Amino acid sequence: MTCRSFQKDLSSYLDGELPGARSARLEAHLRVCHHCQKEMAALRGINDHIRAASRHLRVSQDFDQRVLRTVGYYRVTTARRERRPLTKPLVVLALILLALFGLIRQYLTRNLPLPVRAPQPAVGGYAPAPHAVPTLPGPERR
Amino acid sequence: MEEALRPRLLPAQEPLDGQALASAGDTELMAACQDPESASGGFQELLSRYRKSALALAYQMLGNVEDAEDAAQEAFVRVFQAMPQFRGQAAFSTWLYRIVTNTCLARIRKRRSNAPLETLSEPAGADSPSDRVTDGLLTRQVLRQMSPGLQAVLLLRVEGGLSYREIAEALGLPIGTVRSRLSKARIAFRKLWNELLRETAGGAPAIGEGGATPARGLPASGGRASSAVDCGEEER
Repeated sequence: MTCRSFQKDLSSYLDGELPGARSARLEAHLRVCHHCQKEMAALRGINDHIRAASRHLRVSQDFDQRVLRTVGYYRVTTARRERRPLTKPLVVLALILLALFGLIRQYLTRNLPLPVRAPQPAVGGYAPAPHAVPTLPGPERR
Repeated sequence: MEEALRPRLLPAQEPLDGQALASAGDTELMAACQDPESASGGFQELLSRYRKSALALAYQMLGNVEDAEDAAQEAFVRVFQAMPQFRGQAAFSTWLYRIVTNTCLARIRKRRSNAPLETLSEPAGADSPSDRVTDGLLTRQVLRQMSPGLQAVLLLRVEGGLSYREIAEALGLPIGTVRSRLSKARIAFRKLWNELLRETAGGAPAIGEGGATPARGLPASGGRASSAVDCGEEER
């Protein structure tokens, strides 16, 4: 085998994913080949660069709270979604009934004759006599 | 009666208290999340264990902290919503990283189709404009210039620490494809790194090699298309 064929295995070897026999052959080659050692170091360098890029990343203090709040929000909206099939038609029905009631009332007030009012007494005129309360006969006097 | 009828996809176990939550394995915590009594504690423990790594993965894929936080939070919410259906077919980390990766890929697609690339921003936690910070910028520029498929495989391996089998599960790829994509991803990373380094250094050649600390320059790629020199060592 040549360097080129070993280099195909370097990535898997670095990840610990090269099968045993090939891994042992590559290790033996790495002990004697400076070129492949440099290649290996370069691949390790890539890993180091990537890991270093996020090493100083800080999670914001409210990260957990934001997730948990959103999760709670989802619970509420799910519950609301479940309630909606009942509440929405009821609200619509109530509005329709209200509108119908208003229309009927308007129709009736327009078409019915004006209510007949009792004649008002003229000032200083006749006034009906107060209702005569029948008196019960009192106890007999001797 | 209700207890018997309620579907439980992971094996039932005793409700976990605070200390037990902290020492429980991920699978136990997943089971706790499916139990109404301990769901909240189980989810919060998983959140505290994995928020940093989920954020780091999202950050590497998206290139800025704000987008990464949004994506990581969205991923955790999706995890919570999908928790009742989780059957323990994969490790929690594999499952989470798959969701983070898919969330980020969707955002990258949207960003690429809707808006020009934004300027790269430094993470809020970066200390000083040292070489390390510059390397961080360079790394993110390199990652953003890579194809999303290669980038995802490389980050799941290096940042997420997933095995090839787990990456294959997470991305729905054969293991052989993961292996070859990782090799290609490293070659692509190295090529882009050296190109960008030359540009930022005013034409200076890539220098240095990997050692105990990350090297600024990476030796020219030894991939199939490179000018790798055979050492002449023949395997017997």
